[in-house]
Formats: sequence, structure tokens, C-alpha cells
Amino acid sequence: MNEGTRRRIHLLLRDGAIIAGLGIFLIWTLAPIAWMILTSLLPHRALITRPPDIDPALFTLKNINGVLEDRAVLVDSFINSAIVACATTALALTLGSLAAYAIARLSVPGGNKLMLMVLATQMFPGIVLIIPLFILLSRAHLIDTHIGLVIVYLSFVLPVVMWILKGFFESIPVQLERAAMVDGATTMQTFRLVVLPMSLPPLFAAGVFAFIESWNEFFYAVILTRTEVKTVPIRISEFSGQYRTAYGEMIAAAMIASIPVIIMAIVFRKYILLGFSEGAVKG
Amino acid sequence: MTRIELIDIVKTFGGVNACDGVDLLIEEREFVTLLGPSGCGKSTTLNLIAGLDDVTSGTILMNGKRVNELSPYQRDVAMVFQQYALYPHMTVAENIGFTLRLRKRPKSEIRERVQRVAELLELTALLDRLPRELSGGQQQRVAIGRAVIREPGVFLFDEPFSNLDAALRIRMRSEVRQLHDRLGVTSVFVTHDQEEAMSISDRIAVMRLGKVEQFGTPEEIYSTPVSKYVAQFVGSPRMNILDGELLRSGKQTDFRFGPIVIPLGAQAATIGAIDGNRIELGIRSEHVRIGDSGLPAMVRFVQPIGPETHVTVGWNDTAQTLIARVPGIVRLQPGAQVDVVLDPASMLFFDPETGNRIAGA
Repeated sequence: MNEGTRRRIHLLLRDGAIIAGLGIFLIWTLAPIAWMILTSLLPHRALITRPPDIDPALFTLKNINGVLEDRAVLVDSFINSAIVACATTALALTLGSLAAYAIARLSVPGGNKLMLMVLATQMFPGIVLIIPLFILLSRAHLIDTHIGLVIVYLSFVLPVVMWILKGFFESIPVQLERAAMVDGATTMQTFRLVVLPMSLPPLFAAGVFAFIESWNEFFYAVILTRTEVKTVPIRISEFSGQYRTAYGEMIAAAMIASIPVIIMAIVFRKYILLGFSEGAVKG
Repeated sequence: MTRIELIDIVKTFGGVNACDGVDLLIEEREFVTLLGPSGCGKSTTLNLIAGLDDVTSGTILMNGKRVNELSPYQRDVAMVFQQYALYPHMTVAENIGFTLRLRKRPKSEIRERVQRVAELLELTALLDRLPRELSGGQQQRVAIGRAVIREPGVFLFDEPFSNLDAALRIRMRSEVRQLHDRLGVTSVFVTHDQEEAMSISDRIAVMRLGKVEQFGTPEEIYSTPVSKYVAQFVGSPRMNILDGELLRSGKQTDFRFGPIVIPLGAQAATIGAIDGNRIELGIRSEHVRIGDSGLPAMVRFVQPIGPETHVTVGWNDTAQTLIARVPGIVRLQPGAQVDVVLDPASMLFFDPETGNRIAGA
């Protein structure tokens, strides 16, 4: 076997392995989503038999219609989730970009230590934090309020946003900011007119991350809300009652709840990909 | 029109002096180049003049006024950076007009002034393009345009041509010099390219280890370098340096390196007492001729470069060599015997310990 043939076989094997790996990963990632769609279309009886009876003849829109009929409650929870997720995202991007820029560029004393401390806060499991958080929020009369949830969500969204943006800001050539200085821009003008417009990809990436985290969050929401500010995940969980779990409707609600996030991911996919890849490759 | 004075400027980064007592006086409308290898402090000095970095100690005066505490903008300087530093999300017109936009000038005025600068720099057809759609030379022109529109007192250039190809670099040199003359500003230009410095400047400050080694006209820097460092940094090929000793007998002074003895001219008399007679003789390659009678030598290497040929000659008993610059293409084979003639009037002498010039020229 000559060198060329050997090389061709090697490349074929390599490509085959990559495609097989990606295929397995794709199935792994898409299987729960496929199962969700399938489940939402099956009647309750088909789901509780073992194994589940996946007969296309049984497909029905009853679950989805059921959720939509009872939509007042779901719409309320959608509004709550939207308020909390949008506010968290907006605040995380505003505060996170300012903090990340200051640490990346303005020689903040102990800036790097600060960033490590910010990261360290993420090491604590939620269960450790929930009791002190509950006490703090209840004393501040923020239980079952949008603001209360936003503050708590910021505590775990903001650090990640800061890390994503700091990496990107550091990769911007410092000469650009120096040029802006020579042109007569203040630090804030440089940030607003030069740095931020260049940072749209990581801002979108961080924003989508913040939104998805806040939209999907269940653990804190279930403990820190009661009746007024029930978010979508809480509402979905309520399909599971003490005596009966309405699997079909639960899954149908979950599917409807995923739609905003999926639309967001599709609309901003270009920026999200750019944002994560640019952050990774420092210039 | 600005007169710039640097008085004992020191800039320290992490305990290292990037500038170590720089003194410079740059006159109005003068084109001065800071020349030196990487790490000599030339870009740091430029950033200090710009106000992009703060001096550790020393004073910067502009038109007699202390500007240490002023921002770049307040100093009325404009700068062209090595990597062009164009704002990637703005069009050419927006890049050039950015400084006016910051000053909240009316849109009509910005448009008109951008147009004028674009005409000056032949950028009119490119005004709506983004920087990434331009070639390196066009990007550099935009960077210059951004500086020109300010109508500043001082132009600062930080190795602006180092990313351009050789032909474009030479063209841009003359364009920048013409622009400087036309606008009547003071320009400070940083480069490590000695040829660029020689061709563009009124005066050159050769820098070394954070200090100005010599500040003078290109002719002075080339013909009467104060040290071996300056002598060898400026000029291509590098100045020939022969390491040897002085032999004095009566009125006659000779220079000996290895077994070779070169009789010296009258200017050897100006050489004072030196330790152990050790001395270094410097001579530029254009002052080494290949003739019919002179010092016998052997051709080691021949480098024809078009209008002239660089011939390296050597001797059997020493590793030292000389380069002679001969006009035209010369067909000589390595190993050939030739006679070399060294022009005594053009010889420079350096102290081997300090590197300082002690006589000659």
C-alpha cells in the first residue's frame, strides 16, 4: 500500500469517526426533544402503559388544546417569566458589560482577584444558598415579587456574563481605544461608541444565555414565589398533582414554553456562534 | 504648529525604565523621527508625547506650556497607529469624522470636512466602505485621514508603514512627508527602519536603552555618528568595523588588525591616548574601493543587488572582513585576489570599551 492510499484511508477513517461521534451527540441531544414532541401528541392512556404505546394512529392534539383552553393561567406565567427573564437579561448585560470592561481595561486594583471571587460564588450549590436567600428576601418583603426573583437570578447570571464579556473585551486591540482617546472620546464614550458596537456577538451570546437561564429556572422560583409571580416552569410543574399527573398536558405546556427560547436561538444563532467562538480565541 | 520639549523624561514599567532620561527639543513644523530597535523606548516616548501614558518623572512642554496632565485631545495631537486602529464597525466616512462627531459638530460640517479630507487622500470612492473591505494601504490612508481632519498641531506616527509591502511603504513615505509640508504641522515619527528615517526626516533621534544616543540631521547621523551603535544602526550595509590596535612610531600612525597593517592619514593624529592602544576602525562600504593597488585581500562573498554589488573581502589569518560597495554588477568569484583601498579621510575611530567615537570625520 503506497503512502497516498494509506493517507486517504486515514482521512476517511478520521472523517467517519467524526461524523459518527457527531451523530451520537445529535441523537443524545435531540432524543429528549423528540420524546417531548411525541409525548405531547399521545393520549394519557398511551403514556401510562408500559412500554408506552407509540402508535401514530393515537396521535391527538387534545393535550395542546387542553393547555390552550386553560390558557389564562399559562399566559400569566408567561408574562411573569418574560418580565423576570427580560429584566434579568437587561440588568445582567448592563452591569456585566460595565464591570467586565472596568476589570479588563481600567486597571481596577485587584480586578483579577475580584473576577475569581465572582467565579467562586458559583461553586455553592443552590440548596446551600436558598435558606439565607429566603430569609433575606422575606425581610426585604421581596418574596413572590418580580424584583426578588430578578435579584436572585442576577446572582448566578451576572458572573457568567462578566466572564464571557471580559474575555472578549480583553481581545479587542487596545490601540482602538487609544485611537478613540486621541480622537477626544472619554472612557464612557469609548465604551459606548467603540467597544459596545464591536461587542454585539458576545453581548448576544451572553444575553441569550442570561435569558434562557432565567426563563428555565425552577428551584429558586418554586421556593421564592407563592401565587403572584409564578413563572412558566412552576406552572408546568403544577400539572403534576397529588393523585394524578397529567403527563400529556404537562409536556404540551413545556413544549409551548420552549418556543420563545427556540425562536430566540434561531434568530440570533449567527451572533451566538460568533460570540462564543470569538471569546474563545483571544486576538 | 507646535514646539515640543521633553525634559528628562522617565517612564517606568514594572521597575524597568522604558524611557530613562529623554531630552528632546522638536521645533515647530519639524519632522523628527525616533529611530531604534525594538525595546529602545521609541514608542513609549511617542505615547508619552501623545498623552496615552503618563510620565513617571520629567516634563513635557508644548509651545512652552506644561502638558503632563493633559489628555491627548487637549494636547491637540493626532496619531496614526501601527495597526491602523480603524473602528471596524464604522464606514470610512464615519471613521474619519468620528472626532468631529464627538465634538458634536453639525452633520453638514462633518460631511463637508470628511469630503475635503477624502479628496486630499484620494479616498472619495471608498467613503461608504467598512475597513475590512479595504487594502492595507487604503486602511493606512483612512488612519491618516482621521488624523488630518482634526487639523492638529502635532502628528504622531507609530511605525505606520510596517504592515505595508515595500513598494507601498516607499510611496507612503513621500506622501506623508508631502502632507506634513503642506499642512505645516510638527510631526514625530517612530520607526525601526533606518532607511525610512533617513528619507523622511528633518532630524533623527537614535534611541538606545531608553535614552537618546544621538539627535541630529540625517547627514550628521550618517557621517558623524557619536558611537559605534549609531554608526552600525544607520546605513545599509552596516558600517564595517575592524577591531585592532594603533601603532605609533614618530609621526606615522598605523592601524593593525591580525597581520594586516593599514597606514592612517592625518586625522589619526587627533586620536588621544587610549588604553593599551586597542581601537576600532569604522568605515562605510562606499569608502572601501576595489582597485589595482592597495591592500591585498581575498573575495569571500559577492552580492549583486542591481545598481551596485556588495563585495565581502577577507584575509587568511583573520576572521575579520570588509564589505566594499562597487557600482554596477561586478563579476568576481569567491577566492579571487583583489586590492582594496580604504579612504583615510572617511575613517572613524571608536573606543572599544565605551563604543564612543574618539576621532574621524
